[in-house]
Amino acid sequence: MLKGKIIIADSGEYTRKSIKDLLTKRGYKIYEATDGLGAIRMCRTIYPELVIIDTNLWGMDAFQVGRIIEEDNLSTVIYITNNVNSNFLEQIKKMKVFAYISNPIMKDNLYQMVEFALMNANKIKNLEKKVSKLQSKLEGRKIIDKAKGILMDKEKITEEEAYKSIRRESMDRCEKIEETANRIIDKYSKE
Amino acid sequence: MLKENYSKEELLQRVKELEVEFIHLQFTDIMGVMKNVSITSEQLSKALNNEIMFDGSSIDGFVRIEESDMYLRPDLSTFQVFPWSGEYKEARIICNIYNADGTPFEGCPRNTLKRIINEAKEMGYTMNVGPECEFFLFNTDEKGEPSLETHDNAGYFDLAPVDLGGNARKSMITVLKKMGFEIEASHHECAPGQHEIDFEYADALTTADNIMTFKMVVRIIAQRHGLHATFMPKPKDNIAGSGMHLNISLANLDGSNAFYDENDKIQLSKPAYHFLGGLVKHAKAFTAITNPTVNSYKRLVPGYEAPVMIAWAESNRSPLIRVPAKKGNSTRVELRSPDPSANPYLALATTLKAGIDGIKNEVEPKNKVSSNLYDMNEKELKDLGIDRLPTNLKEAIIEFSQDKTMKDALGDHLFERVINAALYEWNEYSKYISQWEIDRYLMKF
Repeated sequence: MLKGKIIIADSGEYTRKSIKDLLTKRGYKIYEATDGLGAIRMCRTIYPELVIIDTNLWGMDAFQVGRIIEEDNLSTVIYITNNVNSNFLEQIKKMKVFAYISNPIMKDNLYQMVEFALMNANKIKNLEKKVSKLQSKLEGRKIIDKAKGILMDKEKITEEEAYKSIRRESMDRCEKIEETANRIIDKYSKE
Repeated sequence: MLKENYSKEELLQRVKELEVEFIHLQFTDIMGVMKNVSITSEQLSKALNNEIMFDGSSIDGFVRIEESDMYLRPDLSTFQVFPWSGEYKEARIICNIYNADGTPFEGCPRNTLKRIINEAKEMGYTMNVGPECEFFLFNTDEKGEPSLETHDNAGYFDLAPVDLGGNARKSMITVLKKMGFEIEASHHECAPGQHEIDFEYADALTTADNIMTFKMVVRIIAQRHGLHATFMPKPKDNIAGSGMHLNISLANLDGSNAFYDENDKIQLSKPAYHFLGGLVKHAKAFTAITNPTVNSYKRLVPGYEAPVMIAWAESNRSPLIRVPAKKGNSTRVELRSPDPSANPYLALATTLKAGIDGIKNEVEPKNKVSSNLYDMNEKELKDLGIDRLPTNLKEAIIEFSQDKTMKDALGDHLFERVINAALYEWNEYSKYISQWEIDRYLMKF
């Protein structure tokens, strides 16, 4: 069974192929990129679960490539490096997951890091989904409250009556209650 | 484009509110390349007091070493936050360049355009321009170098093909809209990988600023899509090149269209005819500015819808200038020769100058045609008195250097620099042996 799509962006053919072989054996579907912009194009075509970028990537600064991929929500990035120095660590602190692979590639380390990164990326994705759901719910609440306030004021009714009236109208119209609330706000703001 | 007139205090406040960290003070060099002096938001008040200095001698063709201290004066109305997400929040302000003694630097293309705009204003006119900018989106090769390829030939298309260029263009439009651009149209052009995005017309200075901003956005967003954007006029020899048609009109100071006259046969006013006359008269000369590269002239060849002949027509699209059928407040002339390698400030300055020279001297527009120029032979063209645009940069620069109106338009300093830069470019090109020559002559002789 395929465990997910991974892009390996590494300008060095030898490491690229050896990582590809190792991860293919583990059941991942591997795509290879040899330059920075090529890696971005590939991301926008296949939307992989993970992108592994070598810090010596050709064509464009590897960290910039990684930032674009994560900022534009194309995937999650981890780096391969020969040199774990303070600059490298500063750069990867800004990334979604804090994980990296150092050369020479050790099989077990590679598998662990990839699994780690995928798992964490998934967790983050789920949390982000939850947050955005809660955010839209909260926004909806605010709108309904505002519409309720307007109705209570204009129609001289209680909060509960106002809520029931909005709910009834939304059911009658087969629309989301937020939409009804928005329409009420619009209607009265024009008056 | 949206313009807000900030006071210094308001702008400082705004930068604080928006949590902008870096501000790019932008200006354009003679070659039309955007330059940045980047400052942190803490240095902004210094910049707004016109105290930011840079070394003018480090900029292509600006000044000699001994006169190198230049000052940037930000135009507050051009403040704009970059809407693409990044590590830091960044903004830009476009600047005019001033000498150390506080006078406007005459080598600053933006100052030059402002000077001609004022000249037109004294005659009672404002110039409005709507550009139609074309460009190519290319892939990189396996080493990350820009190539002429528009499709990835790697075998990872086990999914349905994705229109990477089209998606990039959509993304560019979203960003441009966030920056206040009104997008009029956008589409794939005839050549593979070629795109066009047209935005709403505005006064000449705003449009020149917009063209610079537009090019920056196109390049940056293309990169975010893994593509290389180029405004090179003719990247491939067998397909159409990229143009930057300019839709030009003059407005009276009350805002009404000065080109429109409902009583005329084709509803053009006297000033419109004379403006056209000026464009036709100076076309050969301003071509050096609207088409400033060696490569520009490989676009201006027959067969690819680019203009070759100096003539004008009402609806026919083959000549240099077209007068679209739509009149009233939309009355305008469409100049079809400029390409996007032109410095927009200088291109608008020279075409406006050519036009108002026509108005001042009441130049009647020669060479109105109604049939397709591409179908005529040399003799027919000659009988009609129709000349062709310069066929290369050298010819163009000779025409340019002999035109006094162009010298007045650019001022002595820029005039000289432009000529020297073009001649240098031409000499460099002449030394180079192209593949075409090798293919043609290596075996033959």
